[in-house]
Amino acid sequence: MAKRKTKSSFVGIKVTTEQAKTLTRLQGVLNSPTKTEVLLKGLDLLSKSYSATLVPREGRPDTKAEPRVVTSLELSQLESEAHQYISILQQTKNRSEEVMKQVIQELAKIDQTIDKYGGDKDCLIQILLDIQRENRWLPKDALMWVSQKLDIPLTQIYHIATFYKAFSLVPQGRHSVSVCMGTACHVRGAPRLLEKVTDTLKIKPGETSDDMRFSLKTVNCLGCCALGPVMVVDEDYHSNPSTGEMEKIFATCD
Amino acid sequence: MPRLNSATDLEKLRQEILAHRDPNKPCVTICSGTGCHAYGSEKVADTFLNEIQSKNLQKKVDIRRTGCHGYCERGTIVVIFPEEICYLRVKPEDVPEIIATTLVEGKIIERLLYEDDDGQKIIHEGDIPFYKHQRRIVFGPNRFIDPKSINDYIARGGYAALAKVLSEMTPEQVLEEVKKANLRGRGGGGFPAGIKWETTRNAPGEIKYVIVNADEGDPGAYMDRSLLEGNPHSVLEGLIIGAYTIGAHQGFIYVRQEYPLAVENLYIILEQAREHGLLGANILGSGFDFDVMVHRGAGAFVSGESSALMTAIEGRVGEPRPKYIRTAVSGIWGKPSNLNNVETWATIPLIINNGVTWFTSIGTEKSKGTKIFSLVGKVNNTGLVEVPMGMTLREVIYDIGGGIPHGKKFKGVQTGGPSGGVIPESLIDTRVDFDELTKAGSMMGSGGMIVMDEDTCMVDVARYFLSFLSEESCGQCVPCREGIYQMLKILNRICAGQGKPGDIELLEEIAEVVRDASLCALGATAPNPVLSTIKYFRDEYEAHVEKKRCPAGVCKALISYYIEPKKCQACLICLRNCPAEAISGGKNLIHIINQDKCTKCGVCLEVCPPQFDAVVKLSGVPVPKPVAIGTEVKRKRGEKSE
Repeated sequence: MAKRKTKSSFVGIKVTTEQAKTLTRLQGVLNSPTKTEVLLKGLDLLSKSYSATLVPREGRPDTKAEPRVVTSLELSQLESEAHQYISILQQTKNRSEEVMKQVIQELAKIDQTIDKYGGDKDCLIQILLDIQRENRWLPKDALMWVSQKLDIPLTQIYHIATFYKAFSLVPQGRHSVSVCMGTACHVRGAPRLLEKVTDTLKIKPGETSDDMRFSLKTVNCLGCCALGPVMVVDEDYHSNPSTGEMEKIFATCD
Repeated sequence: MPRLNSATDLEKLRQEILAHRDPNKPCVTICSGTGCHAYGSEKVADTFLNEIQSKNLQKKVDIRRTGCHGYCERGTIVVIFPEEICYLRVKPEDVPEIIATTLVEGKIIERLLYEDDDGQKIIHEGDIPFYKHQRRIVFGPNRFIDPKSINDYIARGGYAALAKVLSEMTPEQVLEEVKKANLRGRGGGGFPAGIKWETTRNAPGEIKYVIVNADEGDPGAYMDRSLLEGNPHSVLEGLIIGAYTIGAHQGFIYVRQEYPLAVENLYIILEQAREHGLLGANILGSGFDFDVMVHRGAGAFVSGESSALMTAIEGRVGEPRPKYIRTAVSGIWGKPSNLNNVETWATIPLIINNGVTWFTSIGTEKSKGTKIFSLVGKVNNTGLVEVPMGMTLREVIYDIGGGIPHGKKFKGVQTGGPSGGVIPESLIDTRVDFDELTKAGSMMGSGGMIVMDEDTCMVDVARYFLSFLSEESCGQCVPCREGIYQMLKILNRICAGQGKPGDIELLEEIAEVVRDASLCALGATAPNPVLSTIKYFRDEYEAHVEKKRCPAGVCKALISYYIEPKKCQACLICLRNCPAEAISGGKNLIHIINQDKCTKCGVCLEVCPPQFDAVVKLSGVPVPKPVAIGTEVKRKRGEKSE
């Protein structure tokens, strides 16, 4: 908490002429080799002197107050704090660069997909299908990017993304579990199989488990009616598994 | 691969392929259709490849992964040519034996053969009753062809019809043939393909489109999928012929993305066709240009409707539009567009090759040719069957399908998917024919045939279809959006034991409005499952409403499970398996179901050993008062507890 406070005062400072003078003086005391370091240390010292010399009510510096002399102990403390700030800054920078890199990569992939279809607006559904397959869902920034690139209103893209069953607007679990609800499976007891699956996984169709392990959905006919009622976990088909078998199947999914 | 520039080139290539193939060389074909794939056919095929390699038999035996053979019940199917030895239910562990015994020693493994009711073993695939009664003209070649190999298709005379059309026939002549053949659309409606083609051909405008509808959304039907996965070149050949006749230079194949193998195969075969000069500019040197684009459907039942499908191809939401102007005149981007189902397109080359007389000799007066059905549900031989039009439902279900499992009674058969209806036992001699099925209150539909036995509740079936349709309704028009929802609400109530007098009549009334006032065929046919079940099984509805009884014992709210004290042997099996811990009892103590705790999952009934048969399902009668907790089982002398 304390750190955050210091940081905000450290960043959001406005330098008055008085403080600028203080800064120049401190430069000599610190005797630092690089300008950045001087500035960082200086800024930090400044923040301290700032809080010591300010008249809070008026928001103006108290001209009568003398700047404090910095002891060597205080200095080394300030120095180590300044190092911390530098490393935090560096980390934040790295992280945001990483995120930016990822975003750029993802958007570049979308660009590739769009190029694959020659940037043709009519291929919107095909493009969305490819994005869906890549991510297992449609992230909002991806849709906004597609909207920009193809010059299609975002509302229209959402119209499509919500109309078709293949698209998901929320992240999907690592393993997909589908229970066939086709007619043949229905008359052979698919509702009961579904009940068993929901009881075992503790999620309902269309939901994803909190640990992002499983997503459950129902589908209409998988074309293997002879196996009905059938459950598909990722690529594997299971014909009417018992509760025990089901638990074993799910246990093998990490 | 050099381009084929004429019909002669094609024939030359065919002869070349045949010259390189020894008809006597053993060839192991492994069905890799969806059904067998689910059984693990991939592993069987891989084991074959590995074993053949390790035994150094590559030069002596061919391995081929083919499309669906249709007999999904007995997957994985392995057929060994040239003798046509058919092994069923093959597992990877059987493979070494097949290689050692059949391929090397030339002996047959009896235990993998089909065994008929009299215990007779059948060696050849064609002699198995399931196949014997079928007429597999469209679907048959699947079992010989590796779908990813254009050579396999050409070797069997593929693209000969296209070559004939392009070199010898004018578009008018082709149109005349298709019209004379009276080929009716296999997608459901049964509209004559020739007339549709003619409309598009004559419609004003230079640009025209042809489309394959492979958006097979009917739950319980997968014949289009199996054709596209197993023999996609036949569909493409039909499409090119159609394009030539109509004057289209661009085609689309709209295929469900839920069929990944079909999509994959399509991309492969389109590329092959382009390389061979069978697609693209100047096809077979005839000067005719045509190309095809694959459009993956993103999963919406309503998008299978022609106008909706075309909107979807345009990249928009696939919703239907009123068809005052038919899509044949104004379809994709307002251009004349001819849409036909997968099976319809695949039939075209057959008509061209074998002639109209041959085609019209199959079938009934008004429905010519054959139809592929997916025979599923409560039937012994689940699978895809192709039968000549005019065969009776009885023949399909009993002679081909092998009747109802576990000696249960046949109750009805649902055809036409969510748009069709249930045909009861009294009409089982109805012929498979577009008009006959419509007359019976159902329809041909795309070819789903779901068999139901006495354990199927018809009210529940109607409710199932309505819940499917209410989810799939696009919501544009009120009769469909609200009507289906209201009917579903009533049916939910009836199934929950809260049916009121007058509910059935109200259902009929709403059904009529939905049928008459809906915008597209989805709404207009949605009441069919309700109306047909009310028509033929009204007593079941009445039992639900008046007596709060579900005769088939399906509707949970109307059933209870009960352990007959006299029969219970206190074996503890049901007690241990009950997930709700609703059964009390103990060793030597009669088990009792606590009705308040029971979730009606039916596990107790399933696990109760058949020799005791103590658990019963009750409906419409009060549950008898249980015996006192702690009552001991009375056993005869010498009998031991389990």
